[in-house]
Amino acid sequence: MMGQLVWRNALHRPLRTMVSVIAVGIEVALVLLVVGLTHGVLHEVGKRIEGIGADIMVQPPSSSVFLAFSGAPMPQSLGNRLAELPSVAAVTPVLLQLSSSSGLDIIYGIDPPSFQAVSQGFVYLQGHGLEKPDDVLVDDLYARAKHLRAGGTLHLFGHDFHVAGVVEHGKGARVFLPLTTLQQITGSPREASLFFVKCTAPGLTNVVMKEIGSLLPGYEVRPLQDYLSLMTPTSVPGLNTFVHSMIALAAAIGFLVIFLLMYMTIIERTREIGVLKSLGASKSYIVRALMGETMVVCAAGIVAGLLISYGGCLVMRDLFPTLTILITPGWILRAAALAIGAGLAGTGYPAWLASRKDPVEALAYE
Amino acid sequence: MEPASLRVDSLGAPKLDPIVKAEDLWKVYRLGNVDVQALRGVQMEVQAGEFVTIMGPSGCGKSTLLYVVGGLTRASRGRVLLDGNDLAKMDDSGRTLLRRNKVGFVFQRFNLLPTLDARGNIAIAQHIHGNGFDPHRFDLVTRMLGLSERLHHRPAELSGGEQQRVAIARAIINEPKILLADEPTGNLDTKNSESVLKMLTRLNQQLGQTIILITHNPEVAAYAHRVLHMRDGQIVDGIPAD
Repeated sequence: MMGQLVWRNALHRPLRTMVSVIAVGIEVALVLLVVGLTHGVLHEVGKRIEGIGADIMVQPPSSSVFLAFSGAPMPQSLGNRLAELPSVAAVTPVLLQLSSSSGLDIIYGIDPPSFQAVSQGFVYLQGHGLEKPDDVLVDDLYARAKHLRAGGTLHLFGHDFHVAGVVEHGKGARVFLPLTTLQQITGSPREASLFFVKCTAPGLTNVVMKEIGSLLPGYEVRPLQDYLSLMTPTSVPGLNTFVHSMIALAAAIGFLVIFLLMYMTIIERTREIGVLKSLGASKSYIVRALMGETMVVCAAGIVAGLLISYGGCLVMRDLFPTLTILITPGWILRAAALAIGAGLAGTGYPAWLASRKDPVEALAYE
Repeated sequence: MEPASLRVDSLGAPKLDPIVKAEDLWKVYRLGNVDVQALRGVQMEVQAGEFVTIMGPSGCGKSTLLYVVGGLTRASRGRVLLDGNDLAKMDDSGRTLLRRNKVGFVFQRFNLLPTLDARGNIAIAQHIHGNGFDPHRFDLVTRMLGLSERLHHRPAELSGGEQQRVAIARAIINEPKILLADEPTGNLDTKNSESVLKMLTRLNQQLGQTIILITHNPEVAAYAHRVLHMRDGQIVDGIPAD
């Protein structure tokens, strides 16, 4: 019976209920998309680094785990010393450069033979590898986003590069230039931002890391198998605060919308509340009826939020193929709990008011 | 909750306590800076099984008396005993419990819940009562009030007379000790008024339902065993209807 009352009350004003559902849906979608975008981008970057297939990454002292924040302060010849270590199978230098020519992209300058030795090479979907100084390789997602094909032209750093090939995504960056070309462009001759190291056997990673530590004290030496776990919002200064702020904003939206909905509801239904009290309904009965109505709106809002989120993901994927939005079951549950919590909090005061209404005054209300 | 106790009269015959007893009942409302005395020392007794009307002009305190007797509001002074329970000593939750178990209300404006159909409006009283849906009692009441064919209609789809019959069904579904009716025919035409009053009479005669009905209409009052006249917050007399 309570379910019937709650359900029928929620449907009594369909437009108002629908607006509230959409508002809760926006609350849920805001959480999922903001968190999904931050986690997705970080996760995807981490996966691409892991996807190179190297075992160890060597960076200059005090380097950030976020490669975009790196410069090119290491001599390329360090790679030769690393390659001499007993359990090292291959070493490849990489020069990183941020490009803002068409969006914000990290460009890898690579030495194709050593990169191939470490990464087992690219999977070519179109064209071929880097052969000339003005060749560029792009991954398939970048190519889709920028409408590029093998044989086309990509304008970077004020120069037109020839798209030599389109490769499968997942090996470090989305755009690859010859190392010497990028060194010339950035004025960093014979320098590298980092080295990727492949061990002779995966079980030797710790041994090699110790050896590198002894060889290059103070340098950042990271095992790449755990790299993904480092790519979290807490690792980026201010990002966690941003995410929490957006979550708080979303919760505030949900709270205010439900508060307004329920406040209007109890004013509109003052006489009905008086009727329920005349029938002997307790304060808790009145509160439960209103909370039930909130739960219906929140539940529908959560579903709407999921639809908005997944719909938004599809649209984003189409418009920005290089962006990843990661919506996880854990965050779906958190967003749902937030929506319900904010909704119940928003109902609290109106429900308390309703439960305390004088039944005689309520029955006389016009 | 205490049931009505058994007393004996001067000849030793059992004499039941009245189901409603008001002693020196006062109700004062504060309107801005003015105190309005809605009830001024009301004295009243209603026996179980009686059908009593309280008649008086608008503003004489009839509705206030009904609401105080029914536990919807508290008296400012005096005592009200409902089936042996002193309402003055009860807090809000106590009066709520009493209303749930012992009182049924019927209002002039029907006061049905617009989002529920007739069946839902009656069943919700059972739900609030806490004993769950009793299909046997439900069928008995709805058949008696001629509602069996109209149960799936919302209030907006029912005539005034039908709505009031649904309200009566809701009021008696839990077998209350007393039915309090506030101008139940006030919004009905003559034909529907007669129908509703005949049903109330049947409830009183066949089921022994105690009824207090307030009205300003002498024709309505004539249906009762006894008429009490009210004026300016006081019962001025109590004469049998016949």
